[in-house]
Amino acid sequence: MTKPKVLLLGVIDHAHESWNSLSSLAELIEPASRSRAGFLDECRSGKLDGVVAAYRTFASVNITGLFDEELVKVLPESLRFICHNGAGYDQVDVQACTDRGIRVSNVPTAVDDATADVNMFLILGALRGFNTSMIALRDGKWRGHPPPPLGHDPEGKTLGILGMGGIGRNLKKKAEAFGMKVIYYNRNKLSDELAGGAEYVSFEKLLSSSDVISFNLPLNKTTRHLISTREFEKMKKGVVIVNTARGAIIDEDALVKALDNGHVWSCGLDVYEEEPKVHPGLVANPHVMLVPHMGTWTVETQTAMEDWNIGNIRAVLEKGKLNNIVPEQADM
Amino acid sequence: MVGKAALLIGEITHARREWQECGAILKLKEYPDGSREEFVSKCRNGDFDDVTVIYRSNDSNKITGNFNKELVDALPDSLKFICHNGAGYDNIDIEACTRRGISVSSTPVAVNDATADIAIFLMLGALRRITSSFQSVRQGNWRGSNFQLGHDPKNKVFGILGMGGIGSAVATRARAFGMKIQYHNRHQLPSNEEGGAEYVSFKELLETSDVLSLNLSLNPSTKHIISKPQFDMMKEGVVVINTARGPLIDEAALVEAMKSGKVWSVGVDVYEEEPKIHLGLLENENVVLLPHIGTATFETQRDMELLVLENLKDAVQYGRLKTQVLEQKYRKNEDDRWLRNH
Repeated sequence: MTKPKVLLLGVIDHAHESWNSLSSLAELIEPASRSRAGFLDECRSGKLDGVVAAYRTFASVNITGLFDEELVKVLPESLRFICHNGAGYDQVDVQACTDRGIRVSNVPTAVDDATADVNMFLILGALRGFNTSMIALRDGKWRGHPPPPLGHDPEGKTLGILGMGGIGRNLKKKAEAFGMKVIYYNRNKLSDELAGGAEYVSFEKLLSSSDVISFNLPLNKTTRHLISTREFEKMKKGVVIVNTARGAIIDEDALVKALDNGHVWSCGLDVYEEEPKVHPGLVANPHVMLVPHMGTWTVETQTAMEDWNIGNIRAVLEKGKLNNIVPEQADM
Repeated sequence: MVGKAALLIGEITHARREWQECGAILKLKEYPDGSREEFVSKCRNGDFDDVTVIYRSNDSNKITGNFNKELVDALPDSLKFICHNGAGYDNIDIEACTRRGISVSSTPVAVNDATADIAIFLMLGALRRITSSFQSVRQGNWRGSNFQLGHDPKNKVFGILGMGGIGSAVATRARAFGMKIQYHNRHQLPSNEEGGAEYVSFKELLETSDVLSLNLSLNPSTKHIISKPQFDMMKEGVVVINTARGPLIDEAALVEAMKSGKVWSVGVDVYEEEPKIHLGLLENENVVLLPHIGTATFETQRDMELLVLENLKDAVQYGRLKTQVLEQKYRKNEDDRWLRNH
């Protein structure tokens, strides 16, 4: 019997040994094409028949484009599993996969610490307003003339966490070490144990009572542009916004307007609506902190993520099932 | 209190009302701007002969220069207290003040949280070598050409040199990031004050820390406490954080240690000759640099000003300071341990 095939979409950077060790269980292949059109053709032509599972990376979207309905529909019949290397899997149309009986996994947990670290870094950077000082210093102007505005201490401020999953709960512990008080909104209230003393509030109350709002929820149809003009109006004047989740959760143009009129005092962003494009109103604002989607970009976390994703491929080959499945498919 | 005056050198920004209220117990004089020469000549001309307490603002050094022996000796005989706004007071000659019977206070505790916050920001930024990313996004280049993998703080060894109020506040935060905390002080703290941190020798701190944070005060014996021999002892790839005082580190040796790869990244808020910065740091995209803004928040600036005023009021009303500097409150015995003065 021929070995099943596993399709690699994207690059393995660290866990080469781990990946290569799969070759005793499956034939490891990559697409020949480097474009979406070419990839769709390869699928349709039957060249990828026999592929049982696909390991895909976030960056592989540059080759195949989004795993939307059009693409999912032409994947080979044999393909039963998509293992996505990332916590956010909005690039994959899960409903389309479910309709074809394809199971999808992501990488939770391994991402929690690194993402929460960058999240806390951005909270500090935005509250303290460090960006103007760093720019002035590198320009040879020390603090600049006039000196930058004073920042704010996190101590005693209310941090509203939107989305109390693994990353949100990880962030809570770090924020509390800085003396912040945490409130949260989640689709479902957490058990007391998981919430660890954080107060569960309504979405409206979170908007109106937070000094800092952190976005830690997935992007999907219901959360796209969850925050726009109306929501900014409900927030405290002088609020600080931090987003390490997905850019499209926030209407970026509305954010820029809220910054410009002073309603939002500052923001810290790792993600953007149309990355790598960043709204010019953000780039031009020296009082905000901007980093280029690098929440999990460390040696340790990238290695752990690859290991987890390879682990899912191995589980599929050895046991016929994934180690974890995306929440939308929990009943599959 | 007829005839007793307080002299404000520099500015009070967040506690003006509280300063004005001191007018009930003191005559209030101000020297908001000027030069060292002008200040000294005013002292000598008797302009400040009724001044018993000075409020020395954080930015007053650029007006009067250091309160060294020369200046301290020119201060009026009436002066009994200098209430300094700042946790660091290396620009005051404490011994000269003590010899003239002048008591000095600083602003500990009020600075702890803000300084610890900036230390952690610098650590996280240095571990990610974040500066080139900041710059590339602003230039419209997204991640740019120098985009590198960073490191997680989790499970790394965080070494604190100087476990005072700020060092302890830094430790609390670093612990929340999953780091293992060790520290060196001249003497070990009582175990109920260590918060689980391990006490190690200076040598062991240097040899085994993945991240080293300087949180000790600057004085003649700690100048250049980190120099080439110390860098040679450190782990390959160490990250160095300094929010204390620039001259604690031999800046040129730091630049060399970065070139050799011994030091992987650096996060600093202070410099040996600030505002001048060694070019080897200024032009290095792999380090995070801030211009001595450790306590630059509305809340902390106000807290510090209020603490100076509390010292000032205690001085006038009770003849003692609330947060007198350690060197005057205590003296060292033969074992280099502090003993309280009477």
